Order: sequence, then structure tokens, then C-alpha cells
Amino acid sequence: MFEISSVVFLQSILNGLVLGWIYILMALGMSLILSITNILQFSHGEVYMLGAYVAYYFSVVLGLNFFAAILISVMLMAVLGLVLERFFFRRLRAEFLSSMIVALGLMITIQSGVTLGFGINPKAIPSFAPGSIGILGTRIGSDRIIAVGISVVLTLLLFLFLKRSKYGLALTAAPQHREACILLGISPDHMSALAMAIGSALAAVGGALMGSTLVLNTFMGSTALLKGLIIVVLGGMGSLLGVVVGGLILGLVDGVVLVVFGPVAASVAPLLLVVVILVVKPMGLFGHEF
Amino acid sequence: MSSKRKPTNTLIILVFIVFLLLVPVFLKSSYWLHVLSIVGINVILVASVHTIWCTGELSLGTAGFMAMGAYSSALFVMRGELSVWGAVPLGGLLCAIVAVALGYPFMRAKGIYFSILTLLTGEIFRLTAWYYRSLTGGPLGLSGIPSPEPIKIPGIALITFDSKISYYYLILVVVLLSLLILFRLQKSQVGFTWRTIRERDNLAASVGINVLWYKIFAFAVGCFFIGIAGALFAHFMHLLAADASGKFGMFTSIYILIYMVVGGEKKFAGPVIGAIILTLLPEVFRPMQEYRPIVFGALVIFIIFFMPQGIVDLPYRFLSWGRKIIGP
Amino acid sequence: MTYHIVFCHGAERSLDPKEGTLAKVLIKEVNRVDIGSVPVLQIGDLTKYFGGLGAVVDLDLNVYQGEIMGLIGPNGAGKSTVLNMIAGTLSPSKGKLIFKGEDITNLPPHRMAKKGIARVFQSNTLFENVSVITNVRVGLHLHTKIGFLGGFFGSSYTHGREKLLYEEAMEILRFIGLSDQRDQLAINLPHGSQRALCLAVAMAVKPNLLLLDEPLTGMDAEEVNVMISLIKALRDERGITSIIVEHNMRAVMGLCNRIAILNYGSKIAEGAPTEISENPAVIEAYLGAEQDVA
Repeated sequence: MFEISSVVFLQSILNGLVLGWIYILMALGMSLILSITNILQFSHGEVYMLGAYVAYYFSVVLGLNFFAAILISVMLMAVLGLVLERFFFRRLRAEFLSSMIVALGLMITIQSGVTLGFGINPKAIPSFAPGSIGILGTRIGSDRIIAVGISVVLTLLLFLFLKRSKYGLALTAAPQHREACILLGISPDHMSALAMAIGSALAAVGGALMGSTLVLNTFMGSTALLKGLIIVVLGGMGSLLGVVVGGLILGLVDGVVLVVFGPVAASVAPLLLVVVILVVKPMGLFGHEF
Repeated sequence: MSSKRKPTNTLIILVFIVFLLLVPVFLKSSYWLHVLSIVGINVILVASVHTIWCTGELSLGTAGFMAMGAYSSALFVMRGELSVWGAVPLGGLLCAIVAVALGYPFMRAKGIYFSILTLLTGEIFRLTAWYYRSLTGGPLGLSGIPSPEPIKIPGIALITFDSKISYYYLILVVVLLSLLILFRLQKSQVGFTWRTIRERDNLAASVGINVLWYKIFAFAVGCFFIGIAGALFAHFMHLLAADASGKFGMFTSIYILIYMVVGGEKKFAGPVIGAIILTLLPEVFRPMQEYRPIVFGALVIFIIFFMPQGIVDLPYRFLSWGRKIIGP
Repeated sequence: MTYHIVFCHGAERSLDPKEGTLAKVLIKEVNRVDIGSVPVLQIGDLTKYFGGLGAVVDLDLNVYQGEIMGLIGPNGAGKSTVLNMIAGTLSPSKGKLIFKGEDITNLPPHRMAKKGIARVFQSNTLFENVSVITNVRVGLHLHTKIGFLGGFFGSSYTHGREKLLYEEAMEILRFIGLSDQRDQLAINLPHGSQRALCLAVAMAVKPNLLLLDEPLTGMDAEEVNVMISLIKALRDERGITSIIVEHNMRAVMGLCNRIAILNYGSKIAEGAPTEISENPAVIEAYLGAEQDVA
């Protein structure tokens, strides 16, 4: 079991990191939405899945260029995010339980709707960048490298937006100061809508990338949701840097443990890791009060 | 405290219980008795989650603890040579002990984090059952789980558990007992203290309430009954297979939560009613199987928006409408 | 009455604890007289760091039985932090708290309550959706004396105890002046009455030491007077010692036996109201900042 070559080891790390970055996109959205709206958006995984299927539809079924398809998917999912916020979550903002149940209801509805529409068989989006690149003896598909690139760029753009723009600063403000943002012309409602739109857009990209580098099925949302929850909890409340770190750790653990210890450990290890870390640091690795 | 309401409520409950007792007389269908037994198990699960919620903590690990109760009881009987009547409570006790052990570290995490932790722990339990082949039989699971041993009432009868009818009554009795205990607990001084913790835990602590202890106690009680429900399930189905999601997965925990809130979490009867109606509803829709989840999801959202107090609130709503129409 | 007067000179402090040296506060005692008994609370070297920032540094303070001690200072001086440490919500980084001779330094809030320390929070912290009397009833938690099983089964003993507790709660409400509001939902009360209710809940704990965190905020002149007389009555009629953090200077001057002034986490003066108002260090700390917020 431990007689693995360093190449295989490196390969597992790289594979894990690729997946990790895609899940980071999802988790960034979840964390942002959670800190702004205080709602645990259980249907976020389904937005991710829907984003993948929309991209699939436009690129495979309708024959458009893949990147155009992603763009369309992003816009549609952002709109979906706004719709969800405006009509489903806004009036329940104070109600912890009710908003959670609505999110769960949406999750069930969207998942079964997509299953009805597209069928239960997994689909695939043909690779948008055929071929692979060799790194130190390992081989990584070019599409995966581009996927990571896209994820990193988007993450950086998000950080820039949050640190530099007026809206971004409002989003990262502490809850006590949120009401004060009205003076800037940004109400809490605006912030929720913005958080949902951005989060859903990121999820759409994540889903599309996952669909093209791996596979699409109607359960990918639930899987991604669980990964997202792990990352958000690992990284800590309110910390987007924590999401990135948490996602990378998860990716590493997923990749390495799978190869070194087998699939059994690989499914349990991330969960155990989170539980242990939370026991030691109840607010997550980088978490803080708000 | 409207004491004139109370006798009516007790009367309704008694009538309902008599009705439940008489069901097998009229309903011979083995299939429906099976369904009703599952309803009973769900009722215990929801009431337990509701009890934990009294302290303001939401446990999403229900399915995992159910698995623990189920497998442990089955194994106590099949490997440990225990009687089923001993194994079932023991399974519940094991879950309670694990809950206490996990409670101390878990409760330090803030509300939502605790819920996520329980969700992940439930998944860990499920995966353990799935992979730990030597203990749980892995994906194939345990089969041939024995029924409870017959009860001998000297001179009167011998009650054997070989038909759906006897299981129905067994589960009914366990459900009624469990609900009685949980109800009394929630209405007692302990339950009152739980609710003060849910409302304002810093104020509760400042008047001397040991918040951590009370929360862990609620968690342990809830998990005890969840374990019992799981154990009953094992001996009822005679087969436990930790299939990929199915009965012991994340979705079950989520559904139990939905039953609780849609039924109405403000009253004790709410979650019970939610469990009954929402477990029976999919059966009604069986012919249109593929559309069931969509209808279910849409229904859940609809109820939350238009009946935020839950289904249990319906009669009171009708009453107030009726009063408005009839006049004072 | 005689007072303990202390002048503090040139208190200089370093922000980095690792540097080790804190300029010591020079204490020049002018008159030193006891209030007549052993201190009910002894605070020694009390320190709290948040990250590298010293919110409270090396605080020494004694609070004597039956007095009302005022804790004042500019915003951010560390007053609430001190209260939180005494109440058990925060653990001190360093130092000791001795209450009635017992070391209570790191106890959690519910243990503090059991020892006899009750607190009133800064904002109106109440059980909002239940009645006034139920709020006080919760406060009586430590004195319920209904065993676990008793609560579960509801015997006649339990019912008897419940009635007695109800009576006790009513007695407290009568003292506070809210007895006719007993069935009102807490959230429906006007602000001043809510504040008074918070005091009632703290009273139900039957404390020896009462910690009041800005009890007078948001009150009009009349409500302030009522609250002041309540706190005085607690001292005079029931012998309850109080530590009160307040910004309302007029109230503090009229209410407190002694006052301690904090600035940047350290005590810069301590003594009777009249002496404090003439203290140059105090005047400097408050230069231009009249804190009358009635």
C-alpha cells in the first residue's frame, strides 16, 4: 500500500488539487451567501448542477462554442440566484428554520426537475482542450489545467472586487455596519441579491468546468454540496481565504488519501478531518465572529 | 394556559389512539400495515429531532444514529446472543452514550456549525456501515435479522411476531410510549429550561443554567430514541443494507427535518402530524412515481410560505376564519 | 463616612506584553480608611489581551460589602471587559478574582451565578416572547428546588413549589414596580420597563454582587430616577453590593459610594465622587468630553 512511486503520488496531488479548485468556486459562493444572508443555501449544489446542464445543453445539444455556453450558463444562473433571493429567501431572512426548509425544498425540486428533463444517465461535455501536459512525469489534461486557471482567475477577481469596489466592501462589512451601508446607497436587500448572484454565477462556472473535465449527472449537486459544506466549515465562518485554504486541503486529502489508502479511507478522511479540526478550532481554521 | 382547551385535546388524542388500535381490524392489506409501521418509525425520529431542537440545536445526523441503533441492535442479537427485547434498548443506549461523547466537543461550535457537524458525523456512521465489512456486512449488509421473541402472557395468549399485524401493534405501542416520555419531558421543568436556552442562552447562563449540560442532555435523549427507532427498523425489516444513500443517507435526515418544520415545530403534535402526512403522501402519489419529488418539493415550499406555523396550525386557522364568518 | 483615596501618577503602558515591563502605577495614599469589612470582591492584576491589544491591564480593585462602585471611563477603556470577566463570560489572560474569599477567576457564567454574582447585560436581554412574570421565574432557576424527576412527573410537591416560586417572582416584581404588568409580554414593554425587568431577573438570582452594564442607556430623566432609587434600595434594604458601568455622569455622581476610572485598560483613579471630580488626571482624561447622556 505504501509502495507508490513519487510520480503516482504527485499525480494524485495534482488531480486532487484540480478538483479542489472547482469545489472552491462552489464553496466561495456558499460562504459569501452564508455570511451575508445567514441562510445555509442547500440548493446551491443544484445551482451548480443546473449550471453544468445548461452549459451541456448549449454546447452539446445546440452546438455552441463551449466558452460561450459557459457564459450563457453564468448569466442564467446569476439571474436564477436573483430570482431565488427575491422571491424565496428575502421574506424569510430572519427565519432560520423556514429559510433552510425552503432551500431544501428547492434542492429537491430542482434536482428532480433536471432528472425529469435530462434523464438519469450521466452525460459528458467533450473536452474543450484536448491533449495533456506532462509535469515531472505526471500527465494532466490540458482542459484541467485551464479549468484550474479559470478558477484561480475568478477567485482573484472576486477578492479584488471585495477589497476594492464599493459593493464589495459593503459585502465584507461586519453585520453591525451593514445597516450603515444604506448611507452608501446599498441596502441589505441589495447585498443579499448581489451575494446570491455572484455565488450562483461562480457555481455555474464550477459546474460547467466539472461537467467538461469529468462527467455530469443529476447527483453531482449533492456531492458538491457536501464538499462545499466541508470546505466552508473547514475554512471558517466569514473567511474567503479560509475557503481557498480549506478547498486546497480537501483537494489534497481527497487526492492523496485515495491513492495511498484506498477508496474506503478517501470517503471518510475528509469528514473526520473536519470534525477533528472543528473540535480544536470551533470557528474553523480562519473563522471569526461574523 | 387555556384549561378549557385541554379536555378537548385529550379527547381528540384518545379517539385517535382508539382509531389507531382498530386500524388492523379494517385494514387487512399487508402493504399498508407495512407503510403504517414505517410511519410510526418516522414519528419517533421526528419527535426526537424536535426534542433536540428545544434547545435551539438542529441535529442533521438522524440517519447516522438510526444506522447505529439498527446495526448495533442487530449485532447484539446475532453475534451477542442477546434477546431482541434487550438489544433494542441497548442500541438506543449506545446512541445516547455516543451522543454525550460527541456533544461535549460539538456543542462548542456555533448553531449552524453544530448542524453541519452532525450531518458529517451521520455520513461517517453511514460510510462506516458501508465499508466495515467484517462488522456490518458492508454493502450486502446483514440479513436474517430475527424478529422479537414471542411474549408469553400466562394463561391468556402467546404473542408472536410473524405478521405485519403484530409488528404494527408493537411499533404503535413503542411510538405511544416514546411520545409520552418525550412530551412529558418537553413540558417539564427540564423542557422549560431547554426553551429558555433556545431563546437566549447568554441570559440563561447568567441566571445559573448550565447550558452545555442541558444541551447535551437533550441531544442524548433525542439520539436514544432515534437509536430505538433504528433498532425497531432493523428487526422489522429483517434486513439492513447500507446502500449508497437510501435509508441511512443525508436525505433521510433532511426529510425528517422537513417533516418537523412543515408539520409545525411550535407544538408537540406538529412534527408528529408532519411525519404522518408527509410519509403517507408519497404513497398516494405512487402511480406518478417520477413526479413525486417535484410535487413534494413544491408542496414543502408552498406550506412554508402560506402556513409558516405548519400543518398543525390548520385547525386553529379554520377556527379563526369560522369565528370571523359567524361573528362574535 | 470615610473614603479610600488614591492618586495615580504617570501611568505609562506598553502594548506588547512580551516586552515585559509595564511602567508601574505610583500610588500615593492620602487617607486610607476601610469601609468596615473585608472586600466582597478582590480584583488583582486582572489582565485581558485580545490578540496583541491589552483591553484591561493589571487592574487592582477592591469592592466592599454594601457599596455601589461605579466603573467609568471613555469608550473603549475596558469597562465592559472587566464586567465580562467578573461575570465569567470572558476568561482573564492573567490575574485573580476573589469573591467572598473564594477564587472564582475562570468560572463560567452559570457557576458565577451560583456563587452569588448576577449581571444585567448592556442591551435589553430578556426572554421576549413570554410574560414579565415568566422572565423573573426563569431567573429563579437556582432556587427552584424541583428535582429532575419531580419536574418530569408533576407531583403535588412540584405544584406547591411552583406556587411559592410564583409568589417570590411577584414579590420581586412588586419591589421593581412592575407587578401590574406581570402578564404582559416582555417585548411589549417600553424601554425603561424592560431595563427594570432585566434588573428583576438579576434579582431573582438572589445575588450578593450585582453587575450592571450601562443600566441607564436610552432612558428619560424620570426612568433614570426610578432606576437609581431601585439600585439604592437594593443596597439599603437588601445589602446587595453593585458594580455599575455607566456613562451618565450625573447619575454616577449621585449613586455611587466610590468610583474607579479606567482609561486604556488601566485604572487611573479611584475614590469618592467628590474627590474624583477634582483629580487632575481624571480631568485630563475627560478633557472636553462631557459625558452627560441623559
